[in-house]
Amino acid sequence: MKIAMIGWEYPPFKAGGLATHCYGLTRSLAGKNIKVDFYMPKTKQKATSDNPNLRIIEVGETEIYPYDCPVDKELAGFFYDAVYRYNDIVVAKVQENIRKYGAYDAIHCHDWLTMRAGIILKEKKGIPLVITIHSTEYDRAGWIYPNQWFIDMERHGMEKANKVIAVSHFTKRVIVEKYGINPDKIDVVHNAVYPISEGQKQEIVLFLGRLTIQKGAEFFLRAAQKVKDHEPDARFVIAGSGDMLPRLIDQAISLGISDRVIFTGRLTEDEVKHIYGISSIYVMPSVSEPFGITALEAISAGTPTIVSKTAGIAETFKNCLKVDFWDTDEMANKIVSLLKYDPLRRTISKEGKREINLFTWDRVAEQTMDVYNRIV
Amino acid sequence: MTSVCLYFEVHQPTRLNHFSVFNVGKNNDPLSTYFNHELNYWIFEKVAKKCYIPTNKLLLDLINKFDGKFRISFSLTGTFVEYCEKYIPSLLDSFRDLFATGAVDLIEETYFHSLSSLYDDLDEFEEQIKMHNKMIKRIFNYKPRIFRNTEAIFDNRIAKKVSEMGYRGILTEGTEKILDWRSPNYIYKPVNVDIKVLLRNYTLSDDVGFRFSARGWPGYPLTADKYAYWLASCEGDLINLFIDYETFGEHHWIETGIFDFLDHLPREILKYNHLDFVTVSEATERYEPIGDIDVPWAISWADADRDVSTWLGNNMQTACFNELKDIGRKIKEKKDKNLLYIWRLLQTSDHLYYLSTKGMEDGDVHAYFSPYSGPYEGFINYMNILQDLKQRLG
Repeated sequence: MKIAMIGWEYPPFKAGGLATHCYGLTRSLAGKNIKVDFYMPKTKQKATSDNPNLRIIEVGETEIYPYDCPVDKELAGFFYDAVYRYNDIVVAKVQENIRKYGAYDAIHCHDWLTMRAGIILKEKKGIPLVITIHSTEYDRAGWIYPNQWFIDMERHGMEKANKVIAVSHFTKRVIVEKYGINPDKIDVVHNAVYPISEGQKQEIVLFLGRLTIQKGAEFFLRAAQKVKDHEPDARFVIAGSGDMLPRLIDQAISLGISDRVIFTGRLTEDEVKHIYGISSIYVMPSVSEPFGITALEAISAGTPTIVSKTAGIAETFKNCLKVDFWDTDEMANKIVSLLKYDPLRRTISKEGKREINLFTWDRVAEQTMDVYNRIV
Repeated sequence: MTSVCLYFEVHQPTRLNHFSVFNVGKNNDPLSTYFNHELNYWIFEKVAKKCYIPTNKLLLDLINKFDGKFRISFSLTGTFVEYCEKYIPSLLDSFRDLFATGAVDLIEETYFHSLSSLYDDLDEFEEQIKMHNKMIKRIFNYKPRIFRNTEAIFDNRIAKKVSEMGYRGILTEGTEKILDWRSPNYIYKPVNVDIKVLLRNYTLSDDVGFRFSARGWPGYPLTADKYAYWLASCEGDLINLFIDYETFGEHHWIETGIFDFLDHLPREILKYNHLDFVTVSEATERYEPIGDIDVPWAISWADADRDVSTWLGNNMQTACFNELKDIGRKIKEKKDKNLLYIWRLLQTSDHLYYLSTKGMEDGDVHAYFSPYSGPYEGFINYMNILQDLKQRLG
């Protein structure tokens, strides 16, 4: 079987879960003897593959913006242009490769960014189309003023697709209820993780993610203020960048916890692994979270993790703590309890690492192959 | 002749309120802040309607119908009886009516359904048995002669203590751990002391308790005549069917046909001339031990492991258990009656059961019974309350 997978980002170039997912999925598919051509925009850091079944094909001449939609309108205009241009170049490149090396059995796209190319190729060449939805416009907007332009684009792509893969049942529900897509053509495939090694634990409570409305860092800060007096040695780290950063810094100051909070900015891959390893608690207070791979990464590093009740991971992972993102009293209760009660920390860390073994990219690849087999 | 000994455990724990770490040291009235009276009432009333009231009525009818040939035994925990007295006194009357038939025996246990039999010394265990004894005396004017520890927890030390307290028999699990190749369908005796041990036939008990409504099970659907045939095919003196009372109407809803099954069971069993029913006391009067059992490590009827790992299987559980024991020492020094009662309500084994992190089948059973969203939430809540109680003692 031969798949043309159209992506947006791929390690080392990485902004979010989409890159992590494509990396794990393509490598495991290649390992299972599926031929995958992975198309992605040209970046400064060249992505590579060590398996001949997997070819990374970079297209385009210009560098492209990351996953986030820029807030600046003018820049945003460029961004959409760039996305369109990328999709058109991919279409041309895929057609060229078909002429040179033969047909693909399926096209596999990820999120709205690459849907256009998938739709054109399906219509021109009649190749079956699979689309994985890692997040919807509703998620990215935190369910506040979602942009109709994206919604229409996403709906159009999912309507055209032969199969839609959702990263959680939560996301499947959104796709059915908000986009009116037939539930029978949606399969749920939960994400996975390459385990990260555990470091020397310090009294660090970690937030890590894009600093956007969606990820809920403001709730993390409110909880931090409530924890402060009970746990005088605890430090709170906010790792990542995004348009909320200035507001979050202001918030930390007005809450009177600026001496206890560290904003690291964007971290490198190695720094991310290090901070997961040495943190005592990871908090993922997302307002809307289709899955939440970062939680799996933290848990794999032996870090007890608190996630939003509605996050996709919460529906499938047992050994973590769950809170409503807005309930910062309960979030603080759980943070203090984790810091205070050693047996709780040790048990949840141990059981979490045991459960994480079930979340492998091989499993994701097998479930994805089931989807391919049903449309090819 | 083979006797069928049917025994039901009747218990309700006192579930806890949500108690945050920020509440520790900030309350005046622990009894109302620790325990979720609203939830407890709601669950008790629900289970009473679905299970206790209709099952009591059915059992009374059956005993009358078969003129005392249908015989059963009950254990009622102290916390359960307190619920009855507080919320539905007529339910207690229906147990009195059952007892008055003469076909019903009552079993002794710890008043609080606690793990006090696992403490370093057995004083608290003894006190809780005496409390239960007093309660049964007050309500039924009866003195039980047979003992069953919390979830059938049993070892040589417990057997010795219970024997010393004058009980004639004790119930526990008929697990291969202690029987090896031997049959549970006989009476045994501990190596170290003279008391008759009744062993639960877990296969036949769980056929009703767990598997009755499991469609994937080869025995499904289980009918009274089929089950009676299985019993009639057993060898041995005594088949002990020890079942959670909530099996009827709560674990298996009325729609599964569980009440019809119970309704037809006595008739189907009594069709066989070599089968009859006995209460637990009668079983110990009629039959003699055929061998010894040696139980240095505690067993129970809980989970697939049949040991105490259900309550003490992870670090969180042992931490709470040790905290609970330490608090007890201090409370007894203080001689504060109110706090002593609260401490005892907190000893009910369910509080530790909710903190189990066992996987797979057992984990599902734990989740079914738990008022928490998971063991970690359960630990945080319970431990916060223990910390509050500890602060109160100074």
